[in-house]
Amino acid sequence: MAFINLQNVTYKYPLTKTPVLQNINLQVNEGEFVAVIGPNGAGKSTLCYALAGFVPHFFKGEISGTIEVDGVESSKSTLDEWVLNVGLAFQNPFNQISGAKYTVFEEIAFGLENNGVPREEIRPRVEEAMKMTDISNLADRSPYSLSGGQQQRVALTSILVMKPKLLVLDEPTSQMDPIGTREVFGVVRRMAEGGMTVVMVEHKMEWIANFADRVIALKDGQILLEGKPNEVLTSDVLAENGFGISRYTSTAREAKKRGLWKKENLPVTLDEAVEGFKLG
Amino acid sequence: MLEKIKNNFNTQTWVLIPIAIAINIAVGQIVLLLKLPVFLDSIGTVLVAVLCGPWAGALTGALSNVIWGIAIDPGALPWWPVAAMIGYMAGRMAQWGFFKSWWKVVVTGFVVALTAAIVSTPIAVYLFGGITASGSSFITAYLLQTGTGIWQAVVSTSFLTEPVDKITTAMLAFAIIQGLPKRTIGGYPKAEQATVEGGASKNQLYIAVGVVVVLVLFAAFMLRNILGG
Amino acid sequence: MHERLSFYVKRNSVIHDLNPLTKVILTLALILIAFTSPWYWTPHLLVLVAIIPLSFIGKVAPEFFRTAIRIILPAAGFLFLMQAFFQPVGDTVIFKFYFLDVTQESLMFAFRNATRVIVMVSAFTFMLLTTHPSELMSDLTRRGLPGQFAYVIISTLQILPQMQAKAQTIISAQRSRGLDTESSFLKRMGSLSPLIGPLVFGSLAEVEERAIAIEARGFTSKKVKTSLHEIPDHSSDKIIRWGLVILVILSIALNLWPS
Ligand SMILES: Nc1ncnc2c1ncn2[C@@H]1O[C@H](COP(=O)(O)OP(=O)(O)O)[C@@H](O)[C@H]1O
Ligand SMILES: [Mg+2]
Repeated sequence: MAFINLQNVTYKYPLTKTPVLQNINLQVNEGEFVAVIGPNGAGKSTLCYALAGFVPHFFKGEISGTIEVDGVESSKSTLDEWVLNVGLAFQNPFNQISGAKYTVFEEIAFGLENNGVPREEIRPRVEEAMKMTDISNLADRSPYSLSGGQQQRVALTSILVMKPKLLVLDEPTSQMDPIGTREVFGVVRRMAEGGMTVVMVEHKMEWIANFADRVIALKDGQILLEGKPNEVLTSDVLAENGFGISRYTSTAREAKKRGLWKKENLPVTLDEAVEGFKLG
Repeated sequence: MLEKIKNNFNTQTWVLIPIAIAINIAVGQIVLLLKLPVFLDSIGTVLVAVLCGPWAGALTGALSNVIWGIAIDPGALPWWPVAAMIGYMAGRMAQWGFFKSWWKVVVTGFVVALTAAIVSTPIAVYLFGGITASGSSFITAYLLQTGTGIWQAVVSTSFLTEPVDKITTAMLAFAIIQGLPKRTIGGYPKAEQATVEGGASKNQLYIAVGVVVVLVLFAAFMLRNILGG
Repeated sequence: MHERLSFYVKRNSVIHDLNPLTKVILTLALILIAFTSPWYWTPHLLVLVAIIPLSFIGKVAPEFFRTAIRIILPAAGFLFLMQAFFQPVGDTVIFKFYFLDVTQESLMFAFRNATRVIVMVSAFTFMLLTTHPSELMSDLTRRGLPGQFAYVIISTLQILPQMQAKAQTIISAQRSRGLDTESSFLKRMGSLSPLIGPLVFGSLAEVEERAIAIEARGFTSKKVKTSLHEIPDHSSDKIIRWGLVILVILSIALNLWPS
């Protein structure tokens, strides 16, 4: 059975009229890396909250359908239990710093302390996690004194140290400069290669094309398209529905109309574009 | 009882309290800088009290005071029960529905002011013999020199100075809550107390401002009478 | 406005090695004794024979005196003047100042009150200089204080300087747009909302997301919290704590004794 299993999930926030998620059906296998794309307000963040247990345990509102991760149904679990299996990181690194700790090391230990991990285990686990995300050198710094990219890696490490089975990432690089983006993607790639299941909302198409096993295009709370990155990202449907697309895809699409792009498939990344135009 | 205290506190409450304390202190300092005749150092406390409940308000007030005392003005330290009581009373008033329109907010401010005056009096009398390091002690001192009893002198001083400050504070907190998107408020334990009644119109605001102005004039008049006569 | 909100100075001293709770009790004991002891000179003596020597033993004397001169003495001095002039006690008039009589009694009264405030604040200062806030909070959490309190205290200490910096930026921005702190009362009142608004709304908008971030890390977990740091609590700590408690009880008892 699929590791993540969403059946007919429909959800409405309190005080709003239309559902933000409508009839979502989604199956993800263990170890898969799924990217979610969609225009503003499509419901991407809400989908992340649903996977991470915050819908319906934190945000009230009306929900129907079932959300299952690793065989456990969300509505039958508690948020405290759920977050042990599903880690969530999001856009703004600053808001993810707990504020309760003075150093990066302590910040990363926060989740373990809260969950009653014995002291002898905390230190080695924090050290191991920091090595994985390559931030061991920041251990004694104040989390507030770091760059955005560093803060985001601290936030990721703080989640990874809890050893979740599923990692949910909501636009973790959208406030990063290119260096920060590279740093964050480096970490995510290592996690995915290590076999962790990852669901990631992301706008940077070239990165998705390189990493993701599957892409889900969300619009108005519904899944519009689903499939292999290159199929989805180059589909005409995306362009027609106001999704952001890679500039190489749109350039090649124009070129194709004028007969300058000879290949059948459109490119997403620079490399693919260069290669394709060489043919022409 | 314990349950009633506990239901004031969810994660959003715990996240809000430090922010509210910082608002109290930062706004208090801005007001000092502007040399206004008010303190406005409990806006954050009132916000927490209304959104989360009286006990959360009391905790915010007490902690603000202790931190203000340690970091900025040591003379403030012994007054933490007053700050706690301000938070508690504001929360209670909100619970009774008195934070839903401008005129009700004025009433809340007034009740909170009276409470503050009552709680601060024994502290002023027992710890300081009536004369504290606050500027308003000039009034108390004058009353004392003219032969007024100590309790009466201290209480009169508070009744002259507190209402303007607390009503302004409550009104600012109300304005802030009105300015917040509904969904920002939704997650707090007592969100329903902060939903504004239909009648919270501009006219009411003008009346409320009018009340404050009248109070200021009244206080000024009394002061002139006391000090002049 | 104000700079950092961390008083702690890292040094190697016997005081630093004391358990944080011992230092909290010491602080509370000093304050309670200063306010309850019936003997007039107790607060003065506490400053001279307890607090000042302790700041030397704790190797934080320079920082202690700096704080004392910068914030403690001015506050206490102001209180002293207010009370010396305005307190209408006694009839041994020393000198007259307009309509105010400064009496020997009011001077004595003012001197004790000001010193009590000095004891209170300097005891706190001493504790904060020698105790790391996160150690203090971990220790108290271990002893049963709900973990959320540690979050609130430390978070406040970190947010406040950020907020003050923000306030400073907003004030400078408003000033360059013509805010005049010397203008008329109504104008200053009117300038309040453009100053407070940006400060308040930005931080309130963050609350939900920050709550989610800490819940994602088990903030509301029912499990018994553990602590990264081990905070020693020696038997000497316990002896000191009980000794202090006895002294406080003694002081209160003497105060209540019908004389
Ligand atoms: N807490 C909330 N309460 C009510 N409506 C919300 C809330 N959060 C998001 N929404 C609304 O739900 C819709 C989807 O939001 P979101 O999931 O954040 O979209 P995305 O992440 O794709 O931009 C938007 O119209 C948004 O305004
Ligand atoms: Mg989003």
